[in-house]
Amino acid sequence: MFWHIVKRELYDNMNSLRFAVTTMLLLALMVVNAVGYFGEYNARLTEYRRKVSESLDEMEGNADRLFSLVLNGPGKLRKKPSVLTFCADGGEAFLSEYAEGRKGGWSYGWNRDGKGYRVEGIWYLNYPQANPSLWNIMPADTNVSWASIIALVLSFVAILFTFDAISGERERGTLQLMLSNSVSRDAILLGKFVAAFLSIAIPFLIAALINLFLLYTAGGVPLGAHEWARLGILLLITLFYIVIFVALGLLVSSRITQSSISLMVLLLIWATWVVLTPSTLGSIATGLKPAQTSAEFDQHRSKQRDNLKKEYLSDNPFEFEGPTRSYPPTKATQRWAEYVKREAELSERLNKEHLRDQINQIKFARSLARISPASIVGYAVESLAGTGFSRHLQFLDQVNRFAPQFRAFTNETDAADAESPHLFGVKEGMSDKPVRFEAIPKFQDRVSLSSDFNMAAVDVLLLILFGVVLFASAYLSFLRANILH
Amino acid sequence: MFLTLLQRELLANLIAFRFLVAVIICLLLVVTNTIVLIDDYKSRLASYSTAAQKHWEEAKNAETYSQLTVSVDRPPNPLSIFNQGLDRRLGNSVDIHHSHVPALWDTASHSADNPFLSLFSSIDLLFIFQVILSLMALLFAYDAIAGEREGGTLRLMLTTPVQRGSILFAKYISAMLCLIVPLIMSLLLSLILYAFSQAIVLSGDDWVRIGGILLTSIVYLSAFYLIGLLLSALTQRTATALMLSMLLWGILVLIYPSASIFAVNRLVKADSKLEAAYEEIQQIWEEFDRVRTDLKNQDPFKGENMYGSVGIGSGTNADSTTLRYYSYESINWNRIDDEKSGPQIPHVKTYYKSLESQRIRAAEKTWLVRQEALKQIYVRKASVAQTVMRLSPAAMYDMATEAWAGTDFHGIEDFLQAARQYRQTLIHYLEDKDTFASRQWFASDKGAVNLDDLPQFTYRRTDALTGAKRAMPDVAALLLINVVLFLTTLLIFIKQEV
Repeated sequence: MFWHIVKRELYDNMNSLRFAVTTMLLLALMVVNAVGYFGEYNARLTEYRRKVSESLDEMEGNADRLFSLVLNGPGKLRKKPSVLTFCADGGEAFLSEYAEGRKGGWSYGWNRDGKGYRVEGIWYLNYPQANPSLWNIMPADTNVSWASIIALVLSFVAILFTFDAISGERERGTLQLMLSNSVSRDAILLGKFVAAFLSIAIPFLIAALINLFLLYTAGGVPLGAHEWARLGILLLITLFYIVIFVALGLLVSSRITQSSISLMVLLLIWATWVVLTPSTLGSIATGLKPAQTSAEFDQHRSKQRDNLKKEYLSDNPFEFEGPTRSYPPTKATQRWAEYVKREAELSERLNKEHLRDQINQIKFARSLARISPASIVGYAVESLAGTGFSRHLQFLDQVNRFAPQFRAFTNETDAADAESPHLFGVKEGMSDKPVRFEAIPKFQDRVSLSSDFNMAAVDVLLLILFGVVLFASAYLSFLRANILH
Repeated sequence: MFLTLLQRELLANLIAFRFLVAVIICLLLVVTNTIVLIDDYKSRLASYSTAAQKHWEEAKNAETYSQLTVSVDRPPNPLSIFNQGLDRRLGNSVDIHHSHVPALWDTASHSADNPFLSLFSSIDLLFIFQVILSLMALLFAYDAIAGEREGGTLRLMLTTPVQRGSILFAKYISAMLCLIVPLIMSLLLSLILYAFSQAIVLSGDDWVRIGGILLTSIVYLSAFYLIGLLLSALTQRTATALMLSMLLWGILVLIYPSASIFAVNRLVKADSKLEAAYEEIQQIWEEFDRVRTDLKNQDPFKGENMYGSVGIGSGTNADSTTLRYYSYESINWNRIDDEKSGPQIPHVKTYYKSLESQRIRAAEKTWLVRQEALKQIYVRKASVAQTVMRLSPAAMYDMATEAWAGTDFHGIEDFLQAARQYRQTLIHYLEDKDTFASRQWFASDKGAVNLDDLPQFTYRRTDALTGAKRAMPDVAALLLINVVLFLTTLLIFIKQEV
């Protein structure tokens, strides 16, 4: 009996105008997306490789002496482009695609004998900031990606398929007729649920496959086992998301007697919950949890740096004596080395704190925005596609792990040289020999499926929770619903 | 008779559930967002005034004339609460000096925001109207004709001597009245919130602009109502009318504008033009370099290092993607040995006098090439996107209100125009005092320059009339859509079987 209802409903749906329009719409959007990303991945990968090798060349140039490596650091650390960028853009344009270090500036002075000296601050990690789109005069838009198609279009379509599922039958009196036969209410609700679900999922899957086919054959997107695994999970998430809105539609449809009012209520819920909530809550959240402004940060940082400088340089005679290369090293050399090292440490630590502050603000805003399933599904798709904010955090993690590695290497190299005075930080206190380029640790951005999935796991669970709650309420509400018009 | 009809329709609409829901949702969203937006405006205003003051002080700290660079800032637009447009996103601070003509692509930001916040799209009042009220307009319209036909009341009505035209007109007027109520209420509420927050001061011009926004909103809502009415007249059943209008709404308001920008962004590329223009600009500066070498060679005191830069601030600032290219020298000798270098000083003076006028000329030549190229590449792309988007009334509405509010590209360009004007003022100031040929151009050994009479930058948004002119094409197009839709609906309705 249940399958009979599913079959009937499915048949009805497929014959309807909405099904035709939905299919056309999804197909059109998916083709637009595919064509938009033709050749994009290859172009980005080539660019990435070119820039990485540029950085490596620069590093090789610096390897002629250990100190210039310490001074200039490993160059720009680049983020690898994701194969699945077409799935979710995730604000890639705003997120920096590299992290780079910074030299600490320099101090100069005159020795007592009148000869000038110069001490340079060494490399420390300077975290990538988001790129503001200061010169982008294009009108604001939502990128046509899988994420936006799923979040906006599928939820909208789900509402169009379900708003009259129960109220329509009640209006026409067919609900009463059906229940007078020996059909249980469970079967009716489940039948309608499955039918609506399938009539959205099938066109979506077809459109998605066409999209993948186009990108794979003509778009130069290499889809390996890993990518298919990601896409599989992504499609599964999409199905959960469809469940949420089908269940919501059935819930409202069983509560409200007139289908036109049911549609209106659903649309208003949709417009506020899916379209307006994610952005509004984002801006409200940042008001609730203010982060340190850049001006405040700059002030704070320069104050701390000044303090450090005062601590080391204000008491004579070091101000009048630059570092020298001598055995045993002079006190001034020691002092300068320590100062330079501590300055780099301090700057790196402050930068890290500032970044953490900013990231926490965004994290808070994102967790608040998760009230809307549209944000949840967007975040989940982003994580799985390897783009967007969570990917950026992973990249930063790797950068954070790499910086000490690099520093440890330079330390060890210095320690291995018996002729060096072992005063890390100043040119005069360090090994003067060239470094073997092959031995220098090189940054390589890695993408791992498991960590991406971990990032998405919370979102998936939340989606399931939303789905289950809404489905259960739809079920209960239909059991108690009045079948008469 | 018409009045009776109107009364009936109005009452039916007013007591309808949908009217209540529309008003409540609209007000709720408008109030929350206005509070957030006013807060945001205040913080932007604060960072503007801090930055403006800081930049002015920094400019006056210059010790020689060649060091003089004034950074000017764009204040936030109070009407950005209605339509943020580009006001919040684009750069709002630009350096002014004689060696370069500034464009939007040289701007920086004085904003104190967390840059990662760009990940969240921001919402303005216009977006709420655009999404919610257009939806309401369609929901008011879909059963206007199809519903009466289904219910049989249409036939009944037509047995009385009522003209079909007046039925349609009564429906239109009453629905529009019901749509305008939530619109005006939300506008009033946000203006009240404005008044409570003392940070925002609206001028008389701003009120005209707000009036323009209100007018455009009404025209926009009317367009959507008429789309719904047309669908309602065309279809036999209300359910079909509803379905079609919802799909059309989704496509016109949300999908189409984004999809067209996406497509234009991906498909319109103009890298080759960029390269050609960049080469041309580089040649201008190579020529300048040649002149500089020639000038140096004319100096009888060869080998004396009086031309080199001292401290920071000399070199070439170049960026091939934004076609920025200029060479600058800010020189400050704070100790000159008069016995040794004294005889050379007059030569140095003439050297800079001719060099700097050459530099200004090179900057102006660069600007001619650059302006054209930037227009061809970036501005054209944006206007292609806008033209494509104009197939959707929602996009037209967006652009028209942006123009009214002054947050569109023209509004931002006005600021840069003022900045360029200010550069001319600055050059006149330098020329009037004959600073290029003065010792204080390159040396502060006889004391720092006195910049008390330095002209200050002022920027006023253009008047409402200019805004109206810029908004007019879109408003007119929306009006045209209205007329066409109404006439089509009328024709279909008159010829229709009941």
